[in-house]
Amino acid sequence: MKDYIVKDLMVPISEYATVPEEATLYETVMALEKAQETFQQNRYSHRAVLILDKNDRVIGKLSQMDFLRALEPRDANLDQIRKFKRFGFTRKAVALQQEEYLKNSPPILDVYSKAAKLKVTDFMQRPTEGEYVDENTSLDMALHQVTAGSNLSLLVTRGADIIGVLRLADVFAAVFHSMKESESHLSDGAT
Amino acid sequence: MRELEKLFDRIIQRVNINLRELAFDVNPLVRQLIPTGQMTKFYAFYGITPHHPLNLVFKHSNLSGSYFLGRCRVTNSLLYKSDIRGDELKKSGDLFQYQEFNVPVDQDEEIRIDDCYLIKTLVHNFSHDPETLERFFIRDTVSTHYANIHGSPADGCYLGPFATVDLTTMRDCVIGAYAYVQAGEISHLKIEPGTVWVRNPDDFNFMYRYPLNQLNNYIYFTAGSQPQGIFMDFVEDRKEAFQRVFKVVNIETPVTVPANASLDRFAVIKPKTRIGDNVLVAQRAFLQNSTLGKGANAQENCYIINSKLAGNNVTAHGAKIIDADMGTHVFVGFNSFLRGRPDARLTIGKESIVMPHTIIDIRKPLTVKPGSLVWGMVGNAEELEANSMALKDFAKIHSRISRGHMLFEGSGTNFVNAFQERIHHILEANGAFYNGNLNRGHAQKNQNISFNTIQPYPKGDKEGMYPTIIIQP
Repeated sequence: MKDYIVKDLMVPISEYATVPEEATLYETVMALEKAQETFQQNRYSHRAVLILDKNDRVIGKLSQMDFLRALEPRDANLDQIRKFKRFGFTRKAVALQQEEYLKNSPPILDVYSKAAKLKVTDFMQRPTEGEYVDENTSLDMALHQVTAGSNLSLLVTRGADIIGVLRLADVFAAVFHSMKESESHLSDGAT
Repeated sequence: MRELEKLFDRIIQRVNINLRELAFDVNPLVRQLIPTGQMTKFYAFYGITPHHPLNLVFKHSNLSGSYFLGRCRVTNSLLYKSDIRGDELKKSGDLFQYQEFNVPVDQDEEIRIDDCYLIKTLVHNFSHDPETLERFFIRDTVSTHYANIHGSPADGCYLGPFATVDLTTMRDCVIGAYAYVQAGEISHLKIEPGTVWVRNPDDFNFMYRYPLNQLNNYIYFTAGSQPQGIFMDFVEDRKEAFQRVFKVVNIETPVTVPANASLDRFAVIKPKTRIGDNVLVAQRAFLQNSTLGKGANAQENCYIINSKLAGNNVTAHGAKIIDADMGTHVFVGFNSFLRGRPDARLTIGKESIVMPHTIIDIRKPLTVKPGSLVWGMVGNAEELEANSMALKDFAKIHSRISRGHMLFEGSGTNFVNAFQERIHHILEANGAFYNGNLNRGHAQKNQNISFNTIQPYPKGDKEGMYPTIIIQP
């Protein structure tokens, strides 16, 4: 497992789905769809889109979850309902109250149509310090970083530049592969 | 008056330090609420009875217009027209039951108030926290008009006007106006105005949230002004009647009071009021043209006007009942506001439970069926349908239900049972079941009560501060 380093496993930024910062939500998911189609021809499955500023520097990331959240209606009451978990209610109860509250809200197609025109920068997640990892970091170190932050991906750096994305799926595959090798080695030794 | 002002600053700073995580500043909310001149005007008073321990200690505090009963210690605090009622505190030798524990109480429980600013607040009941059985503490806390701190130790908290915290230990919390919390233990929470939250962890969880645009008509509080709205107008309109009972030394009882009932001399009783057997009327209650049947009660800051209570009714602290007919065993929770009209009476059927902080304000006659549970905002029959349920149906809930602004999760049976057991306990404690020999409660114990007054320094740097006073048998 220690033989792998991050740059062996990352998706290079050139092959990742990206959009400029002025993109709308719709343009962003279209970019994701295009990246998914490209996936048919290569090994990468894309689940997020990176948002680039005018200098092509990564300023944020829109995950599938961020996209779905963007479609959720927003008002002060709903924000309060979403905080009900802190009052000891289960997720099911929160969803039930949300459903009750939205009974008389506009049809879902109107909601989608409005959301499509919104700016992606309003919904993207800006990367925090713990979401960057150097390209030469060992896999076990990267694994610790992923689990400690419950991150679905990390941004891979070379100096001040972001050169790729290390995804949970890639870390999982590498770790699993190592485990398999190790088990098979032990089993060979035993015979 | 310098000392008073320094004390105010000290308290505000301490509360704000506790609430820094919630980024909540109490200073702009309360600095102008009570002019310091007002805090030097009123005497404080305390009750002496043969039935309650007497141990009062006041140090470096202002107690303007406040009332004390039982075992209380107040230090570095400002108490303005507040009631500190220690007639339900635990006694040495009691056993406190908590989950599977039976914890012995080593010494008489004491209400301990340190570094607090309480405005027109009621403190009552006893600490329900098994970690602090002998000390019902309230420290570094600010509470505003008509808040209730009921069996709820508090540390570093703010309570908005008409807020109630009931049987809940709270640390570093903000409780918004007209919010009601009964949740066992809470910390670092900001409860929005008009939230009614009753939770027994792993058992049931009830929450109702008032639509703010409607609640604001009843109570609205923002920095730089006094609390406003129908609730405040309602009590302000009746303020003069209380001024009279506090000014006159020997006040005549204006109605016939049965030998087994208790009418506090600091309650206001207007004409055509009838008081039945085993009735308890606490100080600062207001009765007018009303009948209280056997075993009914009216707690502090209750107003019962043009109404009939059939008997064994609990009208909890701060509840208001106007132009209404209540069947037997109807429970009206804290700070509820039930207002019929002379030509549109409100009828509540027997054995119904009106949840704490419920507003029923009608312009057409309305009847709540017997055995109902009612909550939230009700202005007409349609809203009653949305915000009520038969208790027997509520008891059938065993997962979750959402109705309008109400969400419930857990065991409906346990929720209903918990309420019914508590109502029975309240009636018992109030002496509703007294039979001339057994089941003596507050209605019988509070009859023979004497009141003494204490006063602050009249002038100078210490103007408004009370000297250190120790009152013991």
